[in-house]
Amino acid sequence: MEYSATLIDHFRNPRNAGMMREPDGVGEGEYELCMDLARFYLRVRDGRVEEARFQAYGCGPTLAACSAGTEVAAGTALEELAEIGEATIEDAVGGLPAERRHAAMVVARALQAAARDAMTRRKVH
Amino acid sequence: MNRSVYLDHNASTPVHPDVLQAMLPYFSERFGNASSVHGFGREAREGLETAREQIAGFLRVSKDEIVFTSGGTESDNLGIKGIAAAKRAGHIVTSQIEHHAVLRTCETLETQGFTVTYLPVDEYGMVRPEDLEKAIRPDTILVSLMHANSEVGTLQPMNEIGRITRGHGVPLHVDAVQTFGKVPIDVNAFGIDLLSFSGHKIYGPKGVAGLYIRKGTKMAAVQHGGDHERRRRAGTENVAGLVGFGKAVEVRGREMAGEAVRLAGLRDKLWEGIRARVEEVRLNGHPTLRLPGTCNMCFRNVESESIVLGLDLKGIATSAGSACTSGSVEPSYVLVAMGLPLDWAMGSVRCSLGRSTTAEDVDYVLEAVVPLAAKLRALSPVKA
Repeated sequence: MEYSATLIDHFRNPRNAGMMREPDGVGEGEYELCMDLARFYLRVRDGRVEEARFQAYGCGPTLAACSAGTEVAAGTALEELAEIGEATIEDAVGGLPAERRHAAMVVARALQAAARDAMTRRKVH
Repeated sequence: MNRSVYLDHNASTPVHPDVLQAMLPYFSERFGNASSVHGFGREAREGLETAREQIAGFLRVSKDEIVFTSGGTESDNLGIKGIAAAKRAGHIVTSQIEHHAVLRTCETLETQGFTVTYLPVDEYGMVRPEDLEKAIRPDTILVSLMHANSEVGTLQPMNEIGRITRGHGVPLHVDAVQTFGKVPIDVNAFGIDLLSFSGHKIYGPKGVAGLYIRKGTKMAAVQHGGDHERRRRAGTENVAGLVGFGKAVEVRGREMAGEAVRLAGLRDKLWEGIRARVEEVRLNGHPTLRLPGTCNMCFRNVESESIVLGLDLKGIATSAGSACTSGSVEPSYVLVAMGLPLDWAMGSVRCSLGRSTTAEDVDYVLEAVVPLAAKLRALSPVKA
């Protein structure tokens, strides 16, 4: 399986890994066929993601896509993140082999869920 | 700096230098077709028959009982379908943990009216002889069981299995692709009528394998064409490859016993090192009755492929028990049959050691795997 240098770099040196205390939004994405699970935590300021962190269970591409996903999320408006597509995540890891596209899907779903959660909490407060 | 450590010898092995040297003339000056009557053909035939003698001698059988094929899969197909074609109907007994070459052949025969019993295995991946005894019926035409499983390496109780099949007068086919040249095989003591074995698992080339067929075993050819291999397997023989196969077997005859002891020591050093340093790991397969070089482990709540990728980035080649090949991951059917829960089975990694593996390699793997497992667990939202 050929992976991009960007993907390998994120796998070797995952950015923003680990949980976050008192996040403004939390969301999970799952891919049941693969049992992959990604969870994102968001810190939000003025409607934009200030910091994103992740935890994940899955194959190497999924872990790398999570790491890249935190960088994509940082600075993004919640409304925009709630609509984020798989292609954006795939681009952020320098592409994915066809058999590993689910990695982008899991991450996109988790980021969307985290953004929606933050938007809901914002309305409540 | 990264070392390069190959721990996937159950998948394939590098060609031994002596094997390569033996093969080379058969690609150029001795290129003839072994069926041709002229000098070039006779020269090729001589190389082919020498290989057959080397392999027959190693197995202590007659050279007429050895049929060459293109791989372990073809040998399994020929053994099972050959018996089925001769009998035309009946019942086959195999196990749930066989190689796909056996399982899918049996499944295909089921669509043609044959019936098949897939025996369960115990927690170590071992067939219970009493289950085999109970499964054999008056219409049973074949028992096909592997000598050792490629994933976990557990050795089947062949003496018991052979005693039972002999007692019932049922032919026994054994897929010995993972054991041939690694541990002793006595086809008479084990009561084996058909034995599949392959070249590239024992430092021979890919694309050559064999099937031992005990004299008097009633079976039909499944591939039709010329009169090659005494009409039991049509097709021009891969002479260069088979010459290499013969040489590989000759080398195994010298090296097998010593290497088995050495590899078992390294295998146990690897497992003990991991068990001492990593939490929530388990060894899969029988603790003692298994292939000398096979160490299959589960890292609970860590995904196999992430470990394999992490080790690969350190120059270490291993294999994952679960494979994500088409967007979905199935845990290893072997581990599932052994009763492993999913949270364990999804994190299985196989290290298969070979003649190039050193103690320094094992130390290097231990240095790499301990922080890798810790890192992957730290990332994971799934906790034990």
